[in-house]
Amino acid sequence: MNALPVNEHVEQPLLEVRDFQVELITDAGIVRAVDAVSFSIHRGETVTIIGESGSGKSTTAMGLLGLLPEDLAVLSGSVRIDGVDVIADRKAIDKVRGRTLALIPQDPMTALSPVHSIGNQLSEAIRIAGAASKDPGAVRARAIRLLEQVHIPTPDAQLKKYPHQLSGGMLQRVLIAIALASEPQLLVADEPTSALDVTVQAGILDLLLELQEQRGIGILMITHDLGVARLISDRIHVMKDGAFVESGEVQQIVENPSTEYTRKLLAAVPVLGAWDETPAATTLTTTGASND
Amino acid sequence: MTKYILKRLGQGLLTVFLTVSTVFVLVRLAPGDPAVAYAGPLATTEQLAKVREQFGLDLPLIQQYWIFLQQLFTGNLGTSYSFQAPAIQVVLERLPYTLTLATASILLTAVVAIPLGVWMSRRPDTKKEFGVNVLTIAGQSMPDFWTGIMLLTFFAVLIPIFPASGFATWSALVLPTVTIAILQIALISRMVRREMTTNFAAPYLTVARSRGVRNSLLTWRYAMGNSAIPVFTALGTRFAAMLNGVVVVEVVFAWPGVGSLIVRALETRDYPLIVATVLVTAVLAVGVQLLIDLAYPLLDPRIRLGKAATA
Repeated sequence: MNALPVNEHVEQPLLEVRDFQVELITDAGIVRAVDAVSFSIHRGETVTIIGESGSGKSTTAMGLLGLLPEDLAVLSGSVRIDGVDVIADRKAIDKVRGRTLALIPQDPMTALSPVHSIGNQLSEAIRIAGAASKDPGAVRARAIRLLEQVHIPTPDAQLKKYPHQLSGGMLQRVLIAIALASEPQLLVADEPTSALDVTVQAGILDLLLELQEQRGIGILMITHDLGVARLISDRIHVMKDGAFVESGEVQQIVENPSTEYTRKLLAAVPVLGAWDETPAATTLTTTGASND
Repeated sequence: MTKYILKRLGQGLLTVFLTVSTVFVLVRLAPGDPAVAYAGPLATTEQLAKVREQFGLDLPLIQQYWIFLQQLFTGNLGTSYSFQAPAIQVVLERLPYTLTLATASILLTAVVAIPLGVWMSRRPDTKKEFGVNVLTIAGQSMPDFWTGIMLLTFFAVLIPIFPASGFATWSALVLPTVTIAILQIALISRMVRREMTTNFAAPYLTVARSRGVRNSLLTWRYAMGNSAIPVFTALGTRFAAMLNGVVVVEVVFAWPGVGSLIVRALETRDYPLIVATVLVTAVLAVGVQLLIDLAYPLLDPRIRLGKAATA
């Protein structure tokens, strides 16, 4: 499971999305939330979709995970996860979720069932993954090991706890541990740090990078935060109104944005500096900085 | 915890005391004369006066209440006029029948309404769900005396498979139970459906689905686990209400329970019996409510372990 050199893309991509389209049936009519997007992610790569609220980035993620309500979302195009087209065969997603593919959700505080313990929900993920034996002792040992891997202190004691007893940052680590239970090859991180304090965000991103380095996991990162995108991405797709307006390597997008929209997103990043600095550099425009 | 229980028991005692006192005064203010009911319409004025004196009804209200309070603390609620037996004993003899009927009804309700509500929540806006929905509205709209009479007509008279009245055999339990449960099933199943729908839209359910949790587990473990408190509360509250006597149904089926007893007590202006019935049912209602509240911590770790604000 070592990370492969980034340029060696001879193998098939972990995720290959072609002309993916999501139409949502709303009271106001049919809305094309995602309009023919194409991208791919290989082992060990992080690809980021960045855009402001309502640009369709989260819908893209939820769509390819098959998590949009079936009666309200019409999906088309092709999404190949490890070679399996989950749009052509809608049942195929069941075999991929919780095995090849895992989700790290947006708001850790609401992402775990409040009436079941951490250990309970983690063990369930371990049993679904089928990696460890079903023996309770083995499952528990694996649960503790997973919590250790995401750097949760005293994992033993945490298993008994319930979600309301942990902080947002800790819960996000638990959710990452749950995601890792299945030894996934691809993680979809839907704004994994947007609900967390700034100091905690860095820790979670470090953890994701560390896990990627160790395991060569591919990551699809959804964010509105260019700081996050810059830190961890190999490639960035800038999304607006359901379509990619700009795609490319991080460096290229950041240093030489080709569209006005990307320039605005770049300008929305707060810059730390003296109070008397020129207004352009210190603008704290927050157009793109709210959650979906 | 012990302190909490003691506090709740204290509150409960106060509730029961105030209820019983209110009823004690109100029945005496209401029109109607127990002496007439007891001695019959042909009794002379002297006879009536004698009966009133015998029952202590000739005394001023405040003095009657004082005597009642003294009796209350010795657990004696006076002698029932019509049964000529201690009122509390008459009520307690009827209580098992009401308990049986209420327990059977609430069990039938839970067993049918929970799966039905879950089923409806899983097939929203389909034709079948619409059909069941219409049935539940019908169930809610049918008055229980009418349902009872219909069931009696069909299953005791036209096709005599169940007894029409009383409680001589266990099969007599079926019709009154079904009558009560129809309304309760209609109400509870719609509530289960609403709770399940809400929980199915919750983020943790989507996240659980993303990690490959099977649909049956999503339904029963996740959505039901999180719907348990409101559903349990509704069932418990309805059970408590049934213990207060399912008056109409008991009368329709001549069920020898507390409900039909209170009707008779009211008809005969049997003051001690009315007060005794109210006392017993109030104690039961308060007790069941306390048990429901004590069960919350078992169902919800946020209550059990505190720090609920962050959840």
